[in-house]
Amino acid sequence: MDLAIRDIAQHKGKFVATVIGVGLLFAVVLSMNGIYRGFIFEGLSTIQVTSPDLWVVERYRGGPFNEQSTVPEFFHYSIEALDGVEKASPFIFYGVERMIHGNRKRFTIIGYDVFGGLGGPQNLTAGRQIQQAHYEMVAHAKLGFRIGDKIPLGLHSYTVVGLFKNGTAPDGEPLVYLSLPDAQEILYLRDNEEVRNQRERLQQTLTGPGLLTPTQAKKYVSLLDPNIHTVNAQLVNLTPGADPAAVARQIENSLYFSVYSNDQQINLMMQGRLAMPRKQLLLFRIILLIVSVVIISLVIYTFTMEKIRSIAVMKLIGAPNRVIVRLVLEQALLLTTCSYVFGLGVIYNTYQYFPRLVQLTSFDDTVTFLIALAGAIIASSLGIWQALKTQPALALGGH
Amino acid sequence: MAILDIEDLSKTFGTGELAVHALQDIRLSVSAGDLTALLGPSGSGKTTLLLCISLILEPTSGAIVFDGNPIYRNGWTDTDLRRLRREKIGFVFQTPNLIPFLTVRENILFPLELVGITGHKAEARVMELLDYMEIAHRSNYVPAILSGGEQQRVSVARALANRPKLILADEPTAALDTVRGKKVMELLKKIAREHQTAVITVTHDVRMIEGFDHVYHLKDGQLNNASGVI
Repeated sequence: MDLAIRDIAQHKGKFVATVIGVGLLFAVVLSMNGIYRGFIFEGLSTIQVTSPDLWVVERYRGGPFNEQSTVPEFFHYSIEALDGVEKASPFIFYGVERMIHGNRKRFTIIGYDVFGGLGGPQNLTAGRQIQQAHYEMVAHAKLGFRIGDKIPLGLHSYTVVGLFKNGTAPDGEPLVYLSLPDAQEILYLRDNEEVRNQRERLQQTLTGPGLLTPTQAKKYVSLLDPNIHTVNAQLVNLTPGADPAAVARQIENSLYFSVYSNDQQINLMMQGRLAMPRKQLLLFRIILLIVSVVIISLVIYTFTMEKIRSIAVMKLIGAPNRVIVRLVLEQALLLTTCSYVFGLGVIYNTYQYFPRLVQLTSFDDTVTFLIALAGAIIASSLGIWQALKTQPALALGGH
Repeated sequence: MAILDIEDLSKTFGTGELAVHALQDIRLSVSAGDLTALLGPSGSGKTTLLLCISLILEPTSGAIVFDGNPIYRNGWTDTDLRRLRREKIGFVFQTPNLIPFLTVRENILFPLELVGITGHKAEARVMELLDYMEIAHRSNYVPAILSGGEQQRVSVARALANRPKLILADEPTAALDTVRGKKVMELLKKIAREHQTAVITVTHDVRMIEGFDHVYHLKDGQLNNASGVI
């Protein structure tokens, strides 16, 4: 006779309520696992999707994701001329927030050389890559755009020609790919009033000390507009067999930039921008798991203590310890397993509604289950210890 | 033949000036089919004696011989006490103490399974006991919905399940009214006569022990009046 099952069958309501309660707690633990993984995945997503052999950024900067970096756009010609470099192309990256068709949307724009350059979108789920120099975009499906939609950004509208699901900015915002000149225009676009004011200030600077006449100054002012031909990084692919470290050293020494491999770029993010929130999430995850195990322990202990008189009767009528141990342990394992399965069901049916990526992995799921199971066994050992030290005399009313 | 022989059994709690002599030089012999009552006021040592006979509480000195085998002789012998309890002793408590999450049938089945009796043989024994106790119609009920008297009958059935040589009853009528209490005592008498099972019952109610073979009075840990048949 399976005493644990009999007990549960007689207290179905209580068992189900406990399973739901503990199961929801497991759902929170599992969601935190997914949030943690999703946070790292999104944090590294652009690097992983872009994946050049080398990232060339402003000297002494850990850019372009971990730190701001500005490099001249046309240096890709100089880089491409170096030994071991197969391809170099400019890359620009910045976040924006715009009202689009009445909805406020936050996203990150990536500008790249659409004619064979590096850093373009990967694995399109619909449509095609950008094929024109201007006014086309490829957007993350999360933004809700459809192929053919016209999206107003700055002075122009851009036609959505492709969609993808793979790739977000480090802060989880969806990416939008534009041609490099379009991205630069949107980034550096100033309103007319600002342009007029700046020209007026420049005019006064040139004419004030008597350097130029107002007529001469007016002629030069329009030529001295700020340079918008800057990018955040140059992406480099190497020729087969080239030594990445040697090429990197060459770029650093001759062109005075900082150079990182893709792995180094990932490390920069992991040790830098992602480090603190990652530790925070990890700590929260550990605390949640501990809380879950403690709650399971208390539930199992309470379950055992409710049966302590019955256990005393069992001992008095001669039940061996293994019968009592099995009763407590089996209930602990059943409760933990049912709760875990319930929690797993909840999170696997809801994770897609979270605003940011929740990346559930079978490794995390298994480890969480094993920890919970170990917790349940430890917890039940407390109940078993209590059960085994129960005096059979308790059944007789004590002595 | 004596089922239980107790010789010079003593139990002392504490030591020195704080020592309490709960039992002193108890001598008791119970044969198969004997109905024995232990009477005495609160604190006289009734329950302590019952716990010693139940092999739960270790005496301080003396001897316990069960069914010809020495169980205690100034210390436990190497007998498996729990096994002895489940195979040869039945317990009936002040309150029925049924396992609340098992049905009536399962409560009686449980001690049978503990000694390895399962399947048809176990079911047949359960049905036999349920019929004997006139509670077969309640076999699939949980104890909580039975009356106090019915629960106590189930408790007696459970005690009988493994055909014990000795039934120990700790104030089995205390939680019942007089009519139901008398019915339970009649049942114990019937069991002793029909199954040749020795019954030792602790009680403080002399009305319940009419027809018992031996009545012992315990006072300050000492057994006396050990002859009277009421």
